[in-house]
Amino acid sequence: MISLLGLYRPRNTPLHRAPAWFKMLLLLGMSITCLVVSDPVTSIGITLACLLLLASTLPPAKATLRGMGFIVLIAALTTVFQVWRGEYIRALDLAGDLISIAALALAVSCSTSMGEMLDFVTALARPLRWILPPETIGVMVALTLRAIPEAARILVEARVAARARGLDRSVRAILIPSASRTVGFALQLGQALHARGIAESGRGAHVPEPVGAVEGEGSPAARLGEPPVRDATPPDSESGAR
Amino acid sequence: MIEFKEAAVVAPDSGVPILEPTTLTLAEDRISIIGANGSGKSTLARLINGLVLPVSGSVEVDGLDTAKHGAQVRRRVGYLFTDPSAQLIMPTGVEDVALSLRRVIKNRKERDDAAMSALKEIGLATKADVSVNALSGGQRQLLALAGVLACTPSIVVADEPTTLLDLRWRAHVGALLRSLPLQVIEVTHDLDSAAKAQRTLVIDLGRVVYDGSPKEAVQVYRDLMFGRASQGANA
Repeated sequence: MISLLGLYRPRNTPLHRAPAWFKMLLLLGMSITCLVVSDPVTSIGITLACLLLLASTLPPAKATLRGMGFIVLIAALTTVFQVWRGEYIRALDLAGDLISIAALALAVSCSTSMGEMLDFVTALARPLRWILPPETIGVMVALTLRAIPEAARILVEARVAARARGLDRSVRAILIPSASRTVGFALQLGQALHARGIAESGRGAHVPEPVGAVEGEGSPAARLGEPPVRDATPPDSESGAR
Repeated sequence: MIEFKEAAVVAPDSGVPILEPTTLTLAEDRISIIGANGSGKSTLARLINGLVLPVSGSVEVDGLDTAKHGAQVRRRVGYLFTDPSAQLIMPTGVEDVALSLRRVIKNRKERDDAAMSALKEIGLATKADVSVNALSGGQRQLLALAGVLACTPSIVVADEPTTLLDLRWRAHVGALLRSLPLQVIEVTHDLDSAAKAQRTLVIDLGRVVYDGSPKEAVQVYRDLMFGRASQGANA
């Protein structure tokens, strides 16, 4: 399922052009409908519509098939269980619901950039601004999504390291380094956020900044294109540590 | 202009000094900091943008105290870490640079355009929509640098930015850092790179033991390290 993160590709499909709030509303509405409606024909119709919506976003084939394959497997197991219980209609309905919600969720993540999602979460969290700055809540969501593949990578590396030491079966040899490295990664990430001034914007957003500076003389473009402008000052061996 | 005024740092738990009281004025455009592992050079670098605060004394950037005006100082001072993976938060390059710009550009379209132009200038335009996990170490470091530069800092502090890179990327990132028309302070183990600065500080056991010409600084550092190695061999 981790492969489903970062599926977004910039395209010009209708769902890509739709605002994030509309897609989230659609996902919520469709999920409620799936849960409320138990008619198998409607359920199959909704499933087909959701699969078509997913296909319309032109998602990366391999990762999408792998992700959907997992969901279809779960749906198949559920169906088998319900059929075994003799509930054929419920079997169809449940499988349809699972596939519909997963396909629509995938369609939303394939067509919504993290930046859009961040804006959406930030706007959504605005009523809570007295408790926590909305920007911080948005960054928290982004960090959570960032941390999942990283934690998985750390776990895989810890398993390889344990195997290299002949400790394949030692749970401790895998979990302890994984936990400490995950904490280390979190600390590094925190420092990086701090260094980049991200999520200081709860108050910092009100500090006037030269917005125009992004373009023009102070822009990275101008900076990289020009040689250093200040005169080289000869090294002063007198100044310094005392 | 960066000013250290008797700035000292101690380990929070043990109280062991990490950086002895240090007084410095850093005004040159290219300054390198060299020293052994654990000597306190990264702590010195982190003091500059308020990632670490002094327990006594103060550090000022353009007259702003890092302890009192941390957010404003960090807008002036960009910080580049050794491992860019920890610095990249968003799934793709353009989104990560745009994240740095959220504070200054509220309109998403303008923000994305500015991020794209920052990536173009650094030579990563073709990788803008590629997952950060699919980039090479060198490309990630360039991306991290793009994220720093997009915020138009006046100072860049780079903490061993080339340590994890191969020779090709080391040369590329090093040259790029040297070409920036702003003050660059580089902590490094690469003595060739350190020697290209205008001024070099040698840190040892939490103290600045040499401050001056890069050529002499490298010699002081070599003598220090080789002297210690031979002491270790004789012990």
